[in-house]
Order: sequence, then structure tokens, then C-alpha cells
Amino acid sequence: VEDVFSSRLRMRILRILIQVSELNVSEIARRVGVNYESAIKHLRILEDEGIIQHKMFGRIRLYRLDEHSPKTRAVQNLIDTWEHADKQ
Amino acid sequence: VTQGHSVFRDEAKLDINYVPYKLPHRDKELSLLMEFFIFTLQYPEKMAQRVMITGDVGTGKTVLSQRFGTDVAREAGKRGTNLRYVHVNCREYRGSLLLILHHAISVFHPNFPGRGYSAEELLRTFVQILDQENAFVILTLDEFDSLVEKEGSEAVYKLTRLQETRQNKPQRLSLICILRNLNGIQQLDPSTRSTLQSNIISLEKYSKQQLIDILDDRVSMAFRSSAVPEETVGLVAELALAENGNARFGIELLWRAGKYADAEGLGTVAPECARRAVSSIIPAVRKGELASFSLHEKLFLLSIARLFNKSQKVRISLSEAEQAYAVVCEEFTTKPHSHTQLWTYLQTFSVAGIIEKEVSATDSRGRSTLICLPRIPARELEKELSGLLEQREV
Repeated sequence: VEDVFSSRLRMRILRILIQVSELNVSEIARRVGVNYESAIKHLRILEDEGIIQHKMFGRIRLYRLDEHSPKTRAVQNLIDTWEHADKQ
Repeated sequence: VTQGHSVFRDEAKLDINYVPYKLPHRDKELSLLMEFFIFTLQYPEKMAQRVMITGDVGTGKTVLSQRFGTDVAREAGKRGTNLRYVHVNCREYRGSLLLILHHAISVFHPNFPGRGYSAEELLRTFVQILDQENAFVILTLDEFDSLVEKEGSEAVYKLTRLQETRQNKPQRLSLICILRNLNGIQQLDPSTRSTLQSNIISLEKYSKQQLIDILDDRVSMAFRSSAVPEETVGLVAELALAENGNARFGIELLWRAGKYADAEGLGTVAPECARRAVSSIIPAVRKGELASFSLHEKLFLLSIARLFNKSQKVRISLSEAEQAYAVVCEEFTTKPHSHTQLWTYLQTFSVAGIIEKEVSATDSRGRSTLICLPRIPARELEKELSGLLEQREV
């Protein structure tokens, strides 16, 4: 669990994917503010944890949350609760 | 204008993108379109269809296709088939196959990156997505000629012969190509052209009565009851007919006329509102032209303008105009010109595009000349002429 929550970048990637549901690597890298290699490294860690998954379309790799994973739902709940509490 | 006093009930029903549930005078074409796709609907994997829809501006090509798209997707849904209708205006995408395909893909993957590959790659990706999602698409290429113009035969060939590169796989992509006439595809090579031309639906121009039916239909949806008199609908239909039977023009004119009525707080959309609306779209008569008319031409035209302004009629007879002219002459203390002379003046106004004249059907009292003032607001015309006549008096 530390592998996921200890990284500011990985948390930002998860928040972006919760917002837009699906995105390619270059766009994730741009939005997070890191280079392609760094983004792919973090995405692989999240995928290995079973929180996100990807599909290939030619050379394009689209990442999205793995909706069936209980870990994904837990992360979504955590972020929702956190942001909701901040607004109150 | 407060909501309570507006002539409108629901302006959105006059919007260019609104697709009505029923399409007056296009039901046969809608059935035919459905007929072309019936096999595709029953056995989507076995057959992809290609249809062309042709017709002039405002003959209902786009709306016909969109109505069909909604109906066919709903029908497919009932049968458990994932069939999507995707409508693309090629001109909006600068006729680029790449941009058109990107739009089609974005229906399935809204954040699909927009750069970095060729049209071929994107077409392969599109089919891959359809295979993965077991989806079928009817892709409508509106203003198809702009794609042909930009990309030529090659792009159209790729779209129409897609299945040849994937033997024994499900057919995924059907096409509807919309264009004004077949001249738009003359530059395609003969084989691509023949692939497209097997099913053609050509839409005829609407008649005046058909335009009235279409406008009546929209009036009942968009305006409060009795807010638009029959005469106004008739006048708008006539103007739309003069614009090549363009129903879209008529619908837009109705909206604009409604806006004029609201701005003046009239409560009803009088024919005068339609005249003002059309003069805001079509350049009205030049002021210089009015100034060059002789005194009696001005007086006669002033009497016509006054009659229209007062009566709210769409047409007036020559004899009514003559009577009004006699009153105007009295006002300006001058002797009226003869009937024959007035008829000549009428001819001049007609040539200048100020009025339109028609001969009424023969009745027991013979034929009479009717005058119509379709383009210029009677009030503005009266104001302009009064100004010119006053200058002369000074």
C-alpha cells in the first residue's frame, strides 16, 4: 500500500484518471508535468497493483481505472471523501 | 421581454440542430432509407450498406439522415445490437479524413489523442475499436463533396473498400454520403463512384404547400398558440420558396420574425415582422433607387406601403392600391395618374425587386393583379418615401 500512496505523482495520475476516465500516456505525462518515461514508470506500478489497466490501439496506449478492482474503488472512495471534506 | 409576453413557447424547436420527431413530406424517403438498412439491422455482421442522399440546400438531407440515425440506433438497441449513428459534417473538419476519423473514434474514446498518426492508422484503429466493442457504425458524411475535394478518390476508396482487407470478419462500417448533387463525386475514379451510387435518395425541392406544412409544424412546437397568424406562415413559405424552396431558411426566418415581434412587444408575429426579418437577411432595396423614382412613382409606392402597414395583409389588389393612391394624391394636392400608368409603375417596382406581382385566378369579375411586398418592411418603406417626399416639398 505504501508503493501507491507514498508517491505524489501516482496520486495525481489517479486523480486525473478519475476525472477523465481514460487517457494516453503522453497526455497523462503532460498533465502531471513529467516526461514520458517517468509517466510510464508510474503507470506500470499502478497497473501492477491492479488499480489501472491499458488497451493498445496501434501505437497508442490508453490507460483507465480498472473498475472491477476493489483497490480502485477504495482509492476512488478515499479521494472522493477527501475532496468532499475539503469543500465542506 | 418577459417570458410571459414572449411569442415563443420553445425557441429551441427552431434551432438548426433540432431534429423533429416527424418530418413532414419526407416520410417516404425515411422509409426508403430504413429499407436500405433493414438487412444490416437484422444481420449487422453480414452486410454494410452505402447510401447517398442528394438534394439542394434546405431540402431536408441532414435532418432526414439524423432522424433515421436516431430511429435506427434505437431499433438496433431493442435487438441487442450495439449500433451507433455518427454524423460528421466534412466541411467542419476541413474535408480531412484524419479529422473525420478522429471524431468518429472520439465517440467511443473521448480523449483519444488527436495527433501523431496517419489516416490509415486511424482507420485501422477505428475498426479495431469496433471489433473490440462488437459495435457497428453508420457513419454519415455530410457535405461529402468537401471530403472528395480535399482527399480525392484515395480516401473514399479506403472507406468504401475497408472490408476487402479483412476477409471473413464482421462488417462494421456503413456509410451515408450527403451532397447537393452527383457533380460533387465526378472527380472520383469510376469504381469508387459505382460503389457509392448503388443506393441514391434524391430529395426534391419543397413546394409552397409543403413548406407551409413544415412551418406549421414548427410553429405549433415553438410558438404560443395563435401567436403566428396563417398569413405570416404563408408569407414565410413564399419567401422560402423564392430561396429555392429552402425550408431551413423559412424556419430561421420564423425565429427572426418572432424576435422582432418580441422586441416590439406585439404579442403576435405579424407579416410585417417577417418582412423586417427577411430584410435583415437579404439586402433590401437601395435608398438611391427610391430617390430616383418620379413623384408619382413615389406616391404610388407610398400608398402601397401604407396599405401593407395598416392592413397586415400579405397581398393587396391593384384596385385597393389605386384607391389608396388617390388618397395620397389628395394629400399631396396632385392629380392621380391613370390606371395604365400605375400598371407601368408596378412593373418598374417589380423589376427593382421591391414588390412582386401576380395575377389572381379568373373569377366572375375577371382577373386582377395582386401585389406582394415580401422583402422590405412596409414601415421602413413608408418612412423612407415620406422623407423623400418631404424633402421635395421643402
